[in-house]
Amino acid sequence: MRKSMFVSLFAGCLIILFFTLTSMIKVFSSNLIEPALTSEQHNSYRLVLITSELDTPFWAKVEKGAMAAAEQYGASLEVWGTYGSNRDDFLKNIEVAIVSKVDGIIVQGLDTDEFKSLTKVKAASSGIPIITVANDVPMNESLRRTYVGSDHLEAGSMIARQLVSDMGFAGRVVLMVSDRQEYFQRSRLTGILNVLKPYPQIETLIVAAGDSRVDVASATNKLLNEAPNVDAFIAVSANHAGSIIQEISKRMQVEPFYIYSFDDSPETLTLMQQGKIDALIAQSPEAMGEQSVTHMIKWLTGEQVPLNPDGYFTDIKVLRAGETR
Amino acid sequence: MNSIQRKILTMSVIVLSIMVLIWVVLTYYNQKTQEQYNDILQRYLRMNEVTDHSHQTIIALNDYMQKPSALKLSKLDQNKKNMLMAKLQTVTLRNKDNAFTLTSYINMIDSLVASADLTVMFLGQGNAEQSAEKFEEATRIDKYIAETTITLIDKEVRTYDAFYRGIIEQSTELKRLGAWLLSLITIILLLFTYWFSLSITRPIQKLTVAAKELSRGRFDKPIEVHSNDEISFLAKTFDRMRVNINNLISEIQQKAQLESELQQSKLLLKESQLISLQSQINPHFLFNTLDTLSKKAYLDGSEETSDLIASVAGLLRYNLRRLDRAVTLEEELSVALKYIEIQSARFTDRLRFEQEVDESCLQLKLPCLTLQPIIENAVIHAVEPLEDGGSIALRIYEREQRVWIEIEDDGAGMTAEKVNHILMEGGNADGLGHSTGIGFSNVVKRLRLFVGAEDVISIDSEPGFGTKVTIKIPLAGSEG
Repeated sequence: MRKSMFVSLFAGCLIILFFTLTSMIKVFSSNLIEPALTSEQHNSYRLVLITSELDTPFWAKVEKGAMAAAEQYGASLEVWGTYGSNRDDFLKNIEVAIVSKVDGIIVQGLDTDEFKSLTKVKAASSGIPIITVANDVPMNESLRRTYVGSDHLEAGSMIARQLVSDMGFAGRVVLMVSDRQEYFQRSRLTGILNVLKPYPQIETLIVAAGDSRVDVASATNKLLNEAPNVDAFIAVSANHAGSIIQEISKRMQVEPFYIYSFDDSPETLTLMQQGKIDALIAQSPEAMGEQSVTHMIKWLTGEQVPLNPDGYFTDIKVLRAGETR
Repeated sequence: MNSIQRKILTMSVIVLSIMVLIWVVLTYYNQKTQEQYNDILQRYLRMNEVTDHSHQTIIALNDYMQKPSALKLSKLDQNKKNMLMAKLQTVTLRNKDNAFTLTSYINMIDSLVASADLTVMFLGQGNAEQSAEKFEEATRIDKYIAETTITLIDKEVRTYDAFYRGIIEQSTELKRLGAWLLSLITIILLLFTYWFSLSITRPIQKLTVAAKELSRGRFDKPIEVHSNDEISFLAKTFDRMRVNINNLISEIQQKAQLESELQQSKLLLKESQLISLQSQINPHFLFNTLDTLSKKAYLDGSEETSDLIASVAGLLRYNLRRLDRAVTLEEELSVALKYIEIQSARFTDRLRFEQEVDESCLQLKLPCLTLQPIIENAVIHAVEPLEDGGSIALRIYEREQRVWIEIEDDGAGMTAEKVNHILMEGGNADGLGHSTGIGFSNVVKRLRLFVGAEDVISIDSEPGFGTKVTIKIPLAGSEG
């Protein structure tokens, strides 16, 4: 009796000892490492990439390319952006970047007066170089160092030539544009119109719509009501193609129409695979990000001064419905 | 130092040191955690400080713009200085994750100061419009600073997330450790205390048991206590006392036994004296008469009768002596022979007596009237009842430092029961039929008392095969 009691007491003692030891090991072996403080001044270049369309796959690719380049050059890059083209926040970001005295700003060009005044007055007076990416704003209006992105004039021409080769020399073409007449859009329009000018049988209708899907849908609707005998649509602004096709498909077959887009988002790519979009312009967002950072660093290090004011164009190509896998 | 005291002191020191050790470790650990908490809080407070000072600067600037005065300007300067001080402190907050934002943050503060300076400058130049514009810019920067502060704190939380969780986890673990440690120490101390108290109380308990035994009168159990303290000393002393008491008691017992034996022998003597006194109705008269009769018979020519009467007279004289004196075997033997002579006259041929006596043994001392009653006994039981009579043999010789006296008859013998009864000194009434009034058992008792040994007398007998009484008296004992 006495012995068994002693043995059980001893066993209990051992068990508790085990738990105590494990607990002790846990407590004293866990070396909580406080995130290291770096006291030295940040010497690498601080760059900011600002966009107003953080949510699109296009900009995700730009960001990826820019990040890769920044890492390669040892610069620190932050991507600031707003979702859903919130213009006020976008402009605020630019101002914050300026007052934060970053070394360089890579920004999606915005063809507005506020943008221009910010870049022209504030950034220039603070001596912060600005490179526009993807969408350009003319240099004399924004005092940007250079532009990195697609040649939108060329892109317009390419789409127009594709249209002519598909449709022939006669027909009604709707050019669906955003009501924000931005520079890159004007370039595309110019490119298209330049190609179509020699063909008098090709009639062009320029329709302006808002940025939201509802706006585009109503504009398409209105257009189809007023002018039902349309042969082709060109979605000059991004994101419009999907809404247009959706609206058309509500009343008639989509296939007979020639529909073109400047956007290679997954949505439009899927539509093209379905044969609803006939051709679109594929851009090189990663190259844009990478090159913009590269040029910025080169300018900052004085390796390449000045930068080409006309800009550095990245690859564009026409993707046709038959060619995609 | 005292052993038990030392034990208790050691125990207390051990317990105390364990407690102190645990307290020190836990306190140290708590201190460390507290410092970590302080660091964290400090970081947050510093960030908040910048926002505060930037707000203050804007308010002071606004104040100054409303109504410029030297006092307000100095206040503005003071605020700016505060902000720059806060800026210097924020530099220490830099880590890998917030380096970019922190640099921006510091630059923003510089921008704010620059804007404020420009505002004041333009105001001083009377350029109200540009001054207002700069003030607006300063206000915006203040807003950005506030926002960046939030961003920084947000980043801080994210960067330190694992760290904070680690701290929380550790404090939980520490609490658990505390509980485990407490229970472990409790059990260990309980066991230790139990063992320790046992080491003190067990010897005391043993001592108590021993004392109880002693109080019950059992002095033969040794007291054994194995410990290294005072109790052991106490037990040893106690044991020595026990041994002493034991010795004393056995001594007293021996004395008492001796005394009682002495008393008994005295009583027996008194008894035999009383009996002889009873027969001394007129001993001297009888003795003188017998003497006269003997002489008369001799004168009448009856020599045989004269001898017989002389024998009777001798026997009588012997019997009248003091019985409490030891006599020699020679005297005993002569009395026994006189008795045989008398009995031979009575039984004639029916009594056959043989003797084998080693003369050298005759100086042996022995109690008075020991041989005669035994021989008489043999006559009574082996000769008298039988028509053909019987033979009695007396042999005295020396063997193994003892004198052997054998009285053998060829009578009816006795059962073993009867023999035992006689040897147990039970037959007091035997003396009734004896001429000297001294019975067999009286002889047995007196012999035993005289020699001081039980085996002084033995009886070999079997029904139908006679009886042999053997008395063995040590030669050394004869001198006592």
